[in-house]
Amino acid sequence: MRVLALELTAFRNYAALRFEPPEGACIFVGANAQGKSNLLEALALLSTGKSFRTSREADLVATGAPAASVSARVRTRHGEVVAQCVISRAGEGARKRFFRQGRAVRYGDFLGGVNAVTFMPYDLQLVGGPAALRRRLINTALSQSSKRYYHDLAVYAKILAQKNALLRAPTVDRALLDTYDDQLAPVGARLVAERASYVRRLGAEASDVHARWVGASPALTIRYDPAPPIADEAPAAIETGLRAAFVRMRPAELARRGSLVGPHRDDVSLSLDGEALSRFGSQGQQRTAVLALKAAEYALLQRATGEAPLLLLDDVLSELDDDRRRAFLESIGSFDQAFITATDPPVMPPGASASLIAVISGALHLSHEVAS
Amino acid sequence: MYIAGPLADLIRELEKLPTIGPKTAARLAYYLLSAKREDADALAAAIGSLKDRIRLCSRCFSLTEEDPCSICRDLQRDGSMLCVVGEAKDVYAIERTMSFRGRYHVLGGLISPMEGIGVDKLKVKELIERIKPESISEIIVATNPNAEGESTALYLARLLTPLGVNVTRLAYGLPIGGDLDYADEVTLARALEGRRTM
Ligand SMILES: Nc1ncnc2c1ncn2[C@@H]1O[C@H](COP(=O)(O)OP(=O)(O)OP(=O)(O)O)[C@@H](O)[C@H]1O
Ligand SMILES: [Mg+2]
Ligand SMILES: [Zn+2]
Repeated sequence: MRVLALELTAFRNYAALRFEPPEGACIFVGANAQGKSNLLEALALLSTGKSFRTSREADLVATGAPAASVSARVRTRHGEVVAQCVISRAGEGARKRFFRQGRAVRYGDFLGGVNAVTFMPYDLQLVGGPAALRRRLINTALSQSSKRYYHDLAVYAKILAQKNALLRAPTVDRALLDTYDDQLAPVGARLVAERASYVRRLGAEASDVHARWVGASPALTIRYDPAPPIADEAPAAIETGLRAAFVRMRPAELARRGSLVGPHRDDVSLSLDGEALSRFGSQGQQRTAVLALKAAEYALLQRATGEAPLLLLDDVLSELDDDRRRAFLESIGSFDQAFITATDPPVMPPGASASLIAVISGALHLSHEVAS
Repeated sequence: MYIAGPLADLIRELEKLPTIGPKTAARLAYYLLSAKREDADALAAAIGSLKDRIRLCSRCFSLTEEDPCSICRDLQRDGSMLCVVGEAKDVYAIERTMSFRGRYHVLGGLISPMEGIGVDKLKVKELIERIKPESISEIIVATNPNAEGESTALYLARLLTPLGVNVTRLAYGLPIGGDLDYADEVTLARALEGRRTM
């Protein structure tokens, strides 16, 4: 897919921007704090409905303005999509509204219109960092391709928050606790089943990509580690397992006053020839594995939607050495459009058409096309 | 900008209402200023008597002028069937369908520990106390189809089924008159799960 036009109003340091991005790689260069990441943040917002770097959404609205708007006209396989997100200050926080083809839509219906894969330096911790990072990758990917998954995820989070509030209450109503566990089990089982299937496909793809880069050994293996462990991907069996785990953990949950088991505590483990990457992998090996994972994420989303998603690379190319950068971009292969930020123009692999765009305090200057 | 005191007061009061923003509030206030005296008085009187004359029915906790309410007093109603709802306004929604002939019970909210609403804050004890004396055999739980509505319904089923009542829940379905391919996936999936033999 391809962004034909992007419009920002009072978004971060952009007072008003209208921009028609060229196809191929759009490389945004500029000194620090000019608005390169802000631009990618705006594009990611149209894809996931969320900022990739803050949960304080009021920060997205330009200082002194009451509301911000991000909108884009995007050419997709299903015709042109006009997606818009409006963020208005409301008290201390902010309120978001979503529009598709100019009509207000719910968040759940907004997802899936614009598909993008985002890669930023923080993702380089996907292997060594907290499990929440790996769960986020899976949740973002599955929410973009399945409305049911997004809905289940939201319902699960809601019931879980109620269960945790109940566990913290002065007296715990056991019948209500049973009710919450009863509700969590089927929804949780569907989430686990979807994740298991996704990680299996993601793992296979990432292993292939990894093998193309480094050869057959050491082999990258990615495994889904749900709590409790599962024998197969059938939701009914997973549900039974979850119910048993809730019963088993009940005394500990009451003692610790918080939920201790379920898909909100799942993890994904990465290993090289059977050794855990997070403990035994070198910096370079971890980094290569992350790149394979992101390339696989891109390939799977492309397969699920039948078209090349937007590729948003924030500052990440400059973090990579020449070989890894080339290998990564080559394995992504045919993106329709990529948005790449850097403080210095990066070396692009031959073949892709690339445009250099200078970013200077919230304004863009198309400098020249670097055809190669 | 100067706005005459009484007009500014009315705008400020109207703005407090749900779904009314400053622009709508101003438009309503100017409209009322230009409306006939009787119309404005009738509106003011209706708002006044709301607070003076409306109270909760001591049996079903829906809104009423007389206690017990007209539904609780209506002998034509099927007393063995009780429809449990979260809020009084839900009674109005079900009544409009004209297809329910039983009586009601308003919980006064939905269970939500996050907001400090435990079962003790709702009219659940009162619900249980109605079952025997009123010989209730079926309870239809018609709470909202969201997470809290679902929890409340499941909780009530857990509590009431052992008492020998048949507890049912409103079905999830497709909107009537819509096309199948326009229904969202979640609604469609729930409707499939709730399918029935023909
Ligand atoms: N709500 C806002 N209103 C106005 N300006 C903002 C707002 N939020 C962020 N900014 C400004 O945007 C700038 C940061 O932009 P951005 O993060 O896009 O920089 P960058 O070009 O990616 O820089 P770097 O190379 O350091 O990553 C900062 O100067 C910051 O003050
Ligand atoms: Mg940046
Ligand atoms: Zn009554």
